[in-house]
Amino acid sequence: MKCNQIKKGFSDFLTGEIDKTTRKEIEEHVTACGSCRDELESLSAIWTKLGVLPEEQPSESVRTRFYTALEKYKQSLEKEKAGPNLGKLLDGWIERWAPRRPVFQFSLVLMLLVVGLAAGYFLRAGLQEGGEIARLRQEVHQVRQIAEVSLLRQESLNERLRGIDVTSRVEQSDEGTLEALLRFVSSDADINTRLAAIDALQLLPDYPLVQQEFVQSISEQTSPLVEIALTLTHHIKNL
Amino acid sequence: MNKATDNNLMEQVRDGNVEKLAILFERYHVMLYNFFLRLTSNRSISEDLVQDVFIRILKYRSTYRGQDKFIIWLYRIARNTHVDYLRKRKDELSLGEQWDEVPCQEPTPPEKVEQEQEIVRLSKALAKLPLKKREVIILCRFQNLKYKEIAELLGCQIGTVKALIHRSIKELGKAYFELSGGIAS
Repeated sequence: MKCNQIKKGFSDFLTGEIDKTTRKEIEEHVTACGSCRDELESLSAIWTKLGVLPEEQPSESVRTRFYTALEKYKQSLEKEKAGPNLGKLLDGWIERWAPRRPVFQFSLVLMLLVVGLAAGYFLRAGLQEGGEIARLRQEVHQVRQIAEVSLLRQESLNERLRGIDVTSRVEQSDEGTLEALLRFVSSDADINTRLAAIDALQLLPDYPLVQQEFVQSISEQTSPLVEIALTLTHHIKNL
Repeated sequence: MNKATDNNLMEQVRDGNVEKLAILFERYHVMLYNFFLRLTSNRSISEDLVQDVFIRILKYRSTYRGQDKFIIWLYRIARNTHVDYLRKRKDELSLGEQWDEVPCQEPTPPEKVEQEQEIVRLSKALAKLPLKKREVIILCRFQNLKYKEIAELLGCQIGTVKALIHRSIKELGKAYFELSGGIAS
C-alpha cells in the first residue's frame, strides 16, 4: 500500500477507532518505511504527552450559581403561569385595534409621526436647554452608578473585576459603591479582586471612611501582598 | 434501577419540568468545565462559561428536538458560548498566556516542577493552534467523542474529521517542539 493511503489511517491508529486488519497493515508498513515510521512515532509521542494535562474539578461556586439560577428560572415560570403577561395583553390589544389594511396602517403611522413632531416642537419651547443637559448628565451619571454597583454584586470573579474597572472610571462614586469596594478589600476570597478594589479606592477622592477601613483592614489581612498594597495606599493618601 | 437517558431528561426539561436539568448538570458540568479549561487555559472564565451553557439550555430548551443526541446538542451550545466569549473579550489577555499566572497554593516539590512545566508547554502549544484544530483535539482526546459525533457537531464528513485530526496533531507537535526550544523528546 502507498504511503499516502497508510497516512490516512494514522489518526485512526492513535484514537483507537480502527479495525484489526487496518492496524496490521499500518504496523507492517511502518516496519518497512522509515519516513512513515518517523511520522507515526512523532504523532504518537505528542498524542501520549497530552495525557499529562490533568482533569480538574471546578470550584463549588459553579454548583451554587447553577442552582440559584435554576431556582430563579423556576420562579419566573411559575409567575408567568400565575398572572397575565403584560406583553401578551399588549400584543392582543394591538392585534384587536390595529388596522388590517396597509393603506390605513400607513395613515396611522403618518398621523402618529405628525403628532410626535408637533408634541416635540411645543415641548422644546418649554424647556430650558442648559437645565435639560444638566439633567441628562445627572441621569447618565446615575445609570453608570447603577451599572457599576450591579457589576460589583456579580458572583463571577471576572464580572466583579469588570465592575471594579468601571468604578475606577466614574468621577464620583456613591456610598453603595464605596461600601462594595471596601467589602471586597476586607472579605473577598480572591486576592486579585482585593488588590483591584484597593487600586480603585486609591483613585477616588479622600473619604474619611476609606482611611478608617484601610487601617482596620491591614491587621485583618492574611495576604502579605494585600497588606503591602493597603499600607502603601494609606501612606500615599496621607502625604 | 433504570437510569433516565440524557435525551429523555432533556425532553422533560423542554416540556417544562426544568428541575430535571439538575441531573444533566451533575452529569456534565465537570466535563464541560474541562472542555473550556483546555480551550481557554483559565479557570474562572471556564466556570463562567459552564454557567452560561446551562443558562442557554434553559433559554433555548424549546428548540431541543428529541432526535438529536443530547451530548451533540450540549457541545453545540458550548462551542457557541465559547465563540461568543471570544468575540466579547477579544481585546483581553490572549490565550495561552495565563497558565503561568495561576497562583501556587503550596510550595511545589522539585519532582513536580518538571511535570508542571510540561503542562504549561502543552497548554501553550494547544493555544497556538487555530480554534477548530484545538477543538477537534480536545473533543477527540479528552472528551472521548467518536469521529461520527465530531462530524455531526462540526457539520462535516467523517473523512474530513480524520484529516483534520491528523493535521492538528502534526501542528501541535510542531508547536510543542518549538516551545521546547527545538529539543526533540
